[in-house]
Amino acid sequence: MEMKSLIDKIFQKGREKGLNDMEVYYSAGSSLTLKVFQKELETYNLSESEGLSLRGVYKGKMGYSYTEKVDETSIDQLVRDVLENAVIIDSDDEEFIFEGSKEYIKVDSFNPALSNVSEEKKIEFVKSLEEEAFKLDKRIESVEVCVYGDGYGEIIMSNTKGLFLQDKSNIAYTYIVVVAKEGEDIKTGMAYRTGNDFNKFNARDIAKEAVDEALALLGAKSVKSGDYNVIIRNSAAADLLEAFTGIFSAEAVQKNLSLLKGKLNEKIASDKFTLIDDPYMESGLASKSFDGEGVACKYKKVVDKGVLKTYFHNLKTAKKDGVETTGNASKGSYKSSLGISPSNFYVEKGERRLNEMITDINKGILITELQGLHSGLNTVSGDFSLAALGFLIENGKISRPVEQITVAGNYFEMLKNIEETGSDLKFGLPGGSYIGSPSLKIKKLSIAGE
Amino acid sequence: MLSRKLIENTLTAALSTGGDFAEIFVEDRTNNGIVMIGGKVESTMSGRDYGVGIRIFKGFNSVYAYTNKSDEDTLIETAKKAAQAVEGNIIDLTINLTKSDVKNINIIQIDPSKVEKTKKVQVMKKAYDIAFNYDELITQVSINYTDYIQNIMVANSEGLWKEDTRVRSRLGISSVASKDGEMQSGFFAPGASKGYEFFENLDIDYYAKEASRIAVTMVKAKYSPSGRMPVIIDNGFGGVIFHEACGHGLEATSVAKGLSVFAGKIGQQIASPIVTAIDDGSIPNEWGSFSIDDEGTQSQRNVLIENGILKGYMIDKLNARRMNMDITGSSRRQSYRFPPTSRMSNTFIDNGSSTPEEIIANTEKGLYAKHMGGGSVNPATGEFNFAVMEGYIIENGKIKEPVRGATLIGKGMEVLNKIDMVGNNLLQSQGMCGSVSGSIPANVGQPMIRVSELTVGGREGE
Repeated sequence: MEMKSLIDKIFQKGREKGLNDMEVYYSAGSSLTLKVFQKELETYNLSESEGLSLRGVYKGKMGYSYTEKVDETSIDQLVRDVLENAVIIDSDDEEFIFEGSKEYIKVDSFNPALSNVSEEKKIEFVKSLEEEAFKLDKRIESVEVCVYGDGYGEIIMSNTKGLFLQDKSNIAYTYIVVVAKEGEDIKTGMAYRTGNDFNKFNARDIAKEAVDEALALLGAKSVKSGDYNVIIRNSAAADLLEAFTGIFSAEAVQKNLSLLKGKLNEKIASDKFTLIDDPYMESGLASKSFDGEGVACKYKKVVDKGVLKTYFHNLKTAKKDGVETTGNASKGSYKSSLGISPSNFYVEKGERRLNEMITDINKGILITELQGLHSGLNTVSGDFSLAALGFLIENGKISRPVEQITVAGNYFEMLKNIEETGSDLKFGLPGGSYIGSPSLKIKKLSIAGE
Repeated sequence: MLSRKLIENTLTAALSTGGDFAEIFVEDRTNNGIVMIGGKVESTMSGRDYGVGIRIFKGFNSVYAYTNKSDEDTLIETAKKAAQAVEGNIIDLTINLTKSDVKNINIIQIDPSKVEKTKKVQVMKKAYDIAFNYDELITQVSINYTDYIQNIMVANSEGLWKEDTRVRSRLGISSVASKDGEMQSGFFAPGASKGYEFFENLDIDYYAKEASRIAVTMVKAKYSPSGRMPVIIDNGFGGVIFHEACGHGLEATSVAKGLSVFAGKIGQQIASPIVTAIDDGSIPNEWGSFSIDDEGTQSQRNVLIENGILKGYMIDKLNARRMNMDITGSSRRQSYRFPPTSRMSNTFIDNGSSTPEEIIANTEKGLYAKHMGGGSVNPATGEFNFAVMEGYIIENGKIKEPVRGATLIGKGMEVLNKIDMVGNNLLQSQGMCGSVSGSIPANVGQPMIRVSELTVGGREGE
């Protein structure tokens, strides 16, 4: 095979230049994106791409390099950059090239049926998605974004210690953002689906979800500032968890950047809160059998009924803490150096549905969307203050939509104040990880409005 | 980067099914990144991005395809595959490429690829030492070094054929202060369209101390009050308010389809009469500057708002068709993986007439946002939010105690009309802006401004 011979040549060159252990990470993929605007296929994008990275140990330190020109002309650059980069590393932490786990559990993330869906069918689907949105309500003024996309990816990991792993996967996604207008009032609503079964995408359901969301928010006003009982709806709670995922990384803990330092086996959250990382979850979009260092992935409870059980580790952080790696080494792409991230990571669901949870609240806020998650929170301190949309709850019922408010608190305090988790576990859009949460009822958060 | 014949053949293949415009973009970029945590180099990454993007227009619709390979077979095949998505009568277009020179506005003195990495590490070490030794409350400092050289070529069926090189350098300094089990951070990341000379001339002492000063000030601060109040936003990164509240809504990406609240409002008063706002990608060596945009158009100064009146948008080739307006040299993309579209470059509110001292002295009660974090906006509704990294209470015209954790929210139009004082101390600041065509370097900027009323989200009552 062509790639194997290129990898061998890279290793050979590396050895000549004095590198000891080496590893190649190769990924290739293709993608299709279709966007519709006013019944026309406005955007049609396709891609074929690949990239290769090399890491290698020189005088005990690990250097990294990559290229998108995957051929023999790049070998010299790859090896030279690894050497130059290794020389300047002065961290005492050791990075390893791994010989492989004893056993790997197979994960099937490739669905051949998706590759067989015709382009016509995909175009027909995305056009119908837009059409359904307009059909549902005459207050739908425009469809801002209406997209279908799919992609295929494969990776190869190969090292001089004999590890050779391959994986392939495919995924499809679709999302729509609708704009509803009544008088001067404008509201948007969004809905998405992800997965590798095209047949599960139902245009009407998706359009309806987005349209309902936008319409429900029409007429929203701010509320009086103060402390409120708050329910953070599933998708918003998942977004918030995603933003704070880094606090569970052993790397952050070891670098004094996480307040979870020294809290192992201590109570850090309410009894209702259990947090799971499951790389083998059925239809999990971050399911995988091995991590970014080639270590077999593991199921784990990170927080069990409020007690912190483990951090996320790779080989480097595990060695430093004298524990076993949890198989959470991540390689975002061939361009990234090694990091740490979860796989399918979610808050365990509770008993009751959202509408039942609402009935217990005399006066409170249901938050359906949090904005500015990349800027309005501090993962180091846990403080957050975020713009939000949602609904006012009065006497156990939703009384009206709410906008122009912020919700503020501290994530570490909030975890302790979770009174209930709903039965409505939902996952966000997949990135390197796939993060989910049910709706969370919080005793008290500060709301700023009028 | 590619031969004339290969470009012409590729463009011809792209137009073989009735497209009325075709473009090819080649990118060859070397990246260098070094991360130092706790004074030690933790990780380094260098590499080469290489790819080709082919774009075809048919009326208002577009097709885009990219690949990492640039041999003739792959390019022709990619162009043909992309062309299959276009249906129409084949137009007989003769492609006559003329290579033209680019007026280079970002003169580079020292090629960063020629500088030893140990020298780059010394710069980082200096920043680390200054930041870490600033105060005993500082418990961690991270330094991020980045430089890149991006060579691009763009050619299109109208005969345009240009090549350009963009060099950028940036130093990120992040300090964490700890006190009584709490942590707060401060951050500064100056950058420029310059080579290694940027690091040699940088006032590292100032930026490193500022990052640590913010962290130390905030760890001692109490929580911000909440509610509606006057807000003074200081110069520099404070310009993120204009970027989010208005800038994105002036990009043709959302204007062309009528999705922006600013669509169809040229010539109308959309802001307070003391507000003039500019987007200027042609300022030499600024972080968001470029000699030509990613469609090959020379960058220019675009007046967006003049004395409160909407003057113009930022417009790319495709949206120019829908809008029936001229392009403005604003078409940008993160890489060959994204088709370009209208984006901001260096976007700022221009100087006004008040001094910063006057603005503060004239404010009885409110919030002073000295340093801003990032933010985001929904262009359809105009709703924006952004974080205050360093805030203070203002009472009786004086800056009082520091407050942390404040977020500012509002709607674009509303806030533009409520700017009631504009200072005379314009300053630009560097950031990364994420949108449809990826994450790109952009400056935000402004002098100190006062907004008569904004919703401040904090954790304490009024």
